[in-house]
Amino acid sequence: MSEPALLELEDISKNYGNIIALTGVTTLVNAGEVTCVLGDNGAGKSTFIKIIAGAHQQSEGILKVDGEEVMFDSPRDALARGIATVYQDLAVVPLMSVWRNFFLGSEPTKGFGPIRWIDRKKASRIAKEEMGKMGIDIRDTEQAVGTLSGGERQSVAIARAAYFGAKVLLLDEPTSALGVKQSGVVLKYILEARNRGLGVIFITHNPNHAWPVGDRFLILNRGVSMGNFAKDEITRDELIMMMAGGAELEELTRELEQAAAGDEALSHLAEEFAEEVGELEERAEHDE
Amino acid sequence: MRKFRWLAIVLAFTRVAAACGGDGDDTTSTGATQDTVDLTQGGDLTFHMVTHSDDGPFWSVVKRGMDDACAAVGVSCVWSPSVNTPEKQVQDIDAAIAAASDGIAISLASPDQVGPAAERVVAAGIPLYTLNSGLDFYKALGAVTHIGQTEFVAGQGAGERFNALGVSHVLCARQEQSNVGLEERCAGLADTFSGQVTSEFGGLDNDIPAQEAAIAAILAADPSIDAILGVGPPIAISALNASETAGRGAAIGGFDLTPEILDAIETGTIAFTVDQQQYLQGYLPIIFMFLQATNQNTAGGGLPILTGPGFVTSDNAAEVKDLSAQGTR
Amino acid sequence: MTTDVATADVPAAAPDERLAYRGPIQRLLVQPEIGALLGAISIWVFFWAVTVPFGTAIGTANWLDVAATLGIMAVAVALLMIGGEFDLSAGAMTGATGILVILLVKDTAGGGAGLSLWIGIPLSFVLALGIGWFNGTLVERTALPSFIVTLGAFFVIKGAKLGFAKLFVETIQVGRIDEGAGHDFWRKIFSSVWTRNDHIFNSRDTVYVALLVVGGVAILLGLLELTYRRRASFNPGGLPIAGIGAAAGLVGLFALHGTEGTGANFIWSIVMGAGVLIGAYGIALWRFEPNPDRGALQLPGGLLRPAGLGTGLVILGVFFGLILDSAPALKPDRTVDTIFFLLTEQGLRAILFVGLSIVGLVLLLIAASRARNFSSTSGTVVSIYTAIVVTVLAFIIQSESDAPKFRAELFSVLLLVALLMATWAVVGLYFEQRRFPDEAPDRLGRVLAIAGVVLASVGVVFRLLFTTDSELPTLVGQTQFRVSILWFLLSAGLATWVLARTKFGSWTFAVGGSKSASRQVGVPAARTKTQLFMIVSAAAWLVGMLLAFRLQTIQASTGDGKEFEYIIAAVVGGTLLMGGYGSAAGAAIGAMIMAMSFQGIPFAGWNSDWRFLFLGVILLLAVMANNYIRKTAEEAS
Repeated sequence: MSEPALLELEDISKNYGNIIALTGVTTLVNAGEVTCVLGDNGAGKSTFIKIIAGAHQQSEGILKVDGEEVMFDSPRDALARGIATVYQDLAVVPLMSVWRNFFLGSEPTKGFGPIRWIDRKKASRIAKEEMGKMGIDIRDTEQAVGTLSGGERQSVAIARAAYFGAKVLLLDEPTSALGVKQSGVVLKYILEARNRGLGVIFITHNPNHAWPVGDRFLILNRGVSMGNFAKDEITRDELIMMMAGGAELEELTRELEQAAAGDEALSHLAEEFAEEVGELEERAEHDE
Repeated sequence: MRKFRWLAIVLAFTRVAAACGGDGDDTTSTGATQDTVDLTQGGDLTFHMVTHSDDGPFWSVVKRGMDDACAAVGVSCVWSPSVNTPEKQVQDIDAAIAAASDGIAISLASPDQVGPAAERVVAAGIPLYTLNSGLDFYKALGAVTHIGQTEFVAGQGAGERFNALGVSHVLCARQEQSNVGLEERCAGLADTFSGQVTSEFGGLDNDIPAQEAAIAAILAADPSIDAILGVGPPIAISALNASETAGRGAAIGGFDLTPEILDAIETGTIAFTVDQQQYLQGYLPIIFMFLQATNQNTAGGGLPILTGPGFVTSDNAAEVKDLSAQGTR
Repeated sequence: MTTDVATADVPAAAPDERLAYRGPIQRLLVQPEIGALLGAISIWVFFWAVTVPFGTAIGTANWLDVAATLGIMAVAVALLMIGGEFDLSAGAMTGATGILVILLVKDTAGGGAGLSLWIGIPLSFVLALGIGWFNGTLVERTALPSFIVTLGAFFVIKGAKLGFAKLFVETIQVGRIDEGAGHDFWRKIFSSVWTRNDHIFNSRDTVYVALLVVGGVAILLGLLELTYRRRASFNPGGLPIAGIGAAAGLVGLFALHGTEGTGANFIWSIVMGAGVLIGAYGIALWRFEPNPDRGALQLPGGLLRPAGLGTGLVILGVFFGLILDSAPALKPDRTVDTIFFLLTEQGLRAILFVGLSIVGLVLLLIAASRARNFSSTSGTVVSIYTAIVVTVLAFIIQSESDAPKFRAELFSVLLLVALLMATWAVVGLYFEQRRFPDEAPDRLGRVLAIAGVVLASVGVVFRLLFTTDSELPTLVGQTQFRVSILWFLLSAGLATWVLARTKFGSWTFAVGGSKSASRQVGVPAARTKTQLFMIVSAAAWLVGMLLAFRLQTIQASTGDGKEFEYIIAAVVGGTLLMGGYGSAAGAAIGAMIMAMSFQGIPFAGWNSDWRFLFLGVILLLAVMANNYIRKTAEEAS
């Protein structure tokens, strides 16, 4: 590869005082690729997001944008470098129309001198076009975003970020609050953004969502990187296994069995759980 | 140092803000507390006047009455305005008892809170007078007499004025919707007036344009109305404006003295205003207390002494205006 | 549970079947202000019906005067509320700015600063903006609820008013703004009065009718453009028919204008009505696609029930109207007799009659609009039926009512409504309604409709502003329109434009709807909110100037406690208490609703002790109607 990656992380660590939130994280985001960051609650995902989005600075390690070493001072700084963050709940203003949301903060205006007004037609047209590129036909851009489905709402934010020149999209748990079908819709938009040449960082705790769209997987557990794999280096079951932390799962199985001693219903559950974990481990080994 | 000056101003504001909890026009003050009038010739008598006063335009005339009376008979007087705070009034009364006052005059705007303190005055053997408010309670508390005006009688007086003006249908326009005093003024009007009386709410004093519009609407709804009694100073002026725009030329009566009303009476656009003559409410208690202390006189004969209604018409408007400027009307 | 997503090939954008095309009426109905507008119209009609002077120029000037100061503030407060904040100091500020300017320009001997008004007015404006800036900054910096912060500001301002008034002029009334230099000029700006009796214009009624007719036709044409599907190429065959219709309509109109007798009026009304119907049909034939599928007549229970109930209610309303008119027990002295201490008998009659008929007619209209979903034929049948009911109602009113305005004005209005319904129904049967937006006719339709509304409004304003030689002797008193009404309309227009068309407007909605989301995309949330507070204080300043120049003397208590009226007006006008949604025009209409309710009660001669009861009922009804209309419109779309 001759061109440098859009975004590269080398051995990034973050300490809050004596608390180590993140250690030795390395990954990269290429144009036209989806990098999935997987991890359970408390795995260090939000620290990871904050570093890339510019809200916090890394304590150690190197962050490169287009091959150039950088240190973000603020979210605005990250945005200027083409890194746009879409937060799960904070993406859009539900009571406002699609086009107003799309252009919020960067409205196109016309007029003379200090008297300026929004070029409504242009805004409405572009919003419609851009949403169309994402595969959503918005007939009426006057429609309130709140009336769209959860997946479509995320897509408005994604399309907006793409339109305003983002090179890297940082998506914070875009599917976590959504049902199966809506998650599928969002995954589709992630692919759409990828196909348009954007680098996407997709943060999730659901390996089933990550696997179909990801080109690269970074797995975090308790602030430690469990590995950074290209898609051909890892299988789906390994991914699931690693994400949950294999050793920990066995530990959990044991604990469940102990707790269930005497309780018939619970012990039944514990058995089932142990069975499933065993199966998973077997399959992962087999794959290797 | 500048900082401290700001602090002082801020403190003054908060005090003012606290002072304006009451209703009506005369509830303002920057609370100066105890002004002592000590005139050398007056011997050793000291009288206390403990009122709910706020030293607004109304009460400053009362205080002027007190000052003039004290100067006239040569006694010492203490003016304690409690700015509508019953607790402070109680403290001031107790302080006056402790100072072995020779006579205490109080206003009873809050009889429930101030009543016990008034009873302590009587128990201490100090002559007690009530002024301004307290007509229904002075007797039970053991006060010698009450010096003030009753709203009903004031309204009755207005009714007779309108009879003399030869009008047939008076609108009694009130600036508050649930104020007993104002309702009584209208009831008194209906009592003596020979024609029809319509008592209606005419909009609050804090929105004069709406007040004018409301009165104009009432006038438009009933073409037979040919006179208006505004039971407060601003509403009387609003009634005048509404009547003028409606082209009705209604006879207007007002309540209390303000420069605007006096001007209008002078030019003849307002027929009269009912004056409570509150100067008397400051002056008379001192005289009565002086006479009781020096001559064992008890005025009133168990009945209240009314200070009003007095009337200001075009005949005496000019004189009253001058007196008002001097602070005695 | 796996969500396998087909990679790479994303299907091409398919039209979303859930997004149906919204017709012009539906689009109009989801506007936040439309519920308030309908509420305002009903309240106006109500008081017009129960009182004599309310609907005349004198009554209009009266309630508009109250609406103006209330409305200027309500509009600004609505902006702030859309931005998600409250300002409880808004009321006190109106008095404070008035007192401030008087203190600045009053003679030094009288306790003032003796400045010229040319300095005092801009200076007071800057100081007022400073208060707004202070409120906004404090709210933003402390992150306390604006309710609390501005409550504090309210007490500070209230105290400062009293304190400074007592300090400088030794009374709570601050007067003599006329001592400021330039008073004559500024008085013209803030306190001019248009006295209708002095403005005679004898061909007023001709202009009025002409503007109304032209405006009405423009609205009708605009609605046609917005509703029906345009032909690929126009069919000139429709033009002669349209011409015949127009000619018949004009002949009917002129003849109607020139005749007095009932028989002749009746004939010429029919000629005019037929003209409108034929004209509209001709225009439609010229421009629009014929309806390919009129559908069979379907009248299921869902249609018959509201239609039947509606008819029943109208009949009941007419029945009450007639029975109360002739019931001897209720009749002895109709003008002053009151029932339940509340209402005159006339009032009760009007309420029952107007209320029942309106509800009945609304049900019929609902049935008609539902019928259109079944088939064009069903829609037309129910619409025509409704038109017939309206016509019958009109004639009953004309023959039975002894109130002249019912006989003449209401009769004409109802006939017009029936005529338009019939026209709409016929066009709807023969021509195809649009199911998609189309740019050219959309633009033309909008322009026509807006132009029509403007022309008709100008006509009404014309009638209100001028009198005629023949009318003059019948007038009692002066009708005075104050310049504050103009300021009110200007503020409402400006605020509406700002909200709808500017960045700042968009940001206002955004910071009220979701502050964090708007911050996320770079909206300067703190600055926007501070500016909103400054807008409120600027509006308070304007009201302060209007009061100061009108009254010459301002009391310290002026405006205290009015802030809740502003908030109520904004809410009645469709602004959400939580922020993020609302409209400035709606707040203006909300202020009108409140002013009409305030003033209608004394106009009706009702006992003022019940004033708040009425006010409460009216406001609840207005808000509920508002909510209901918005919900139904949103569900329907």
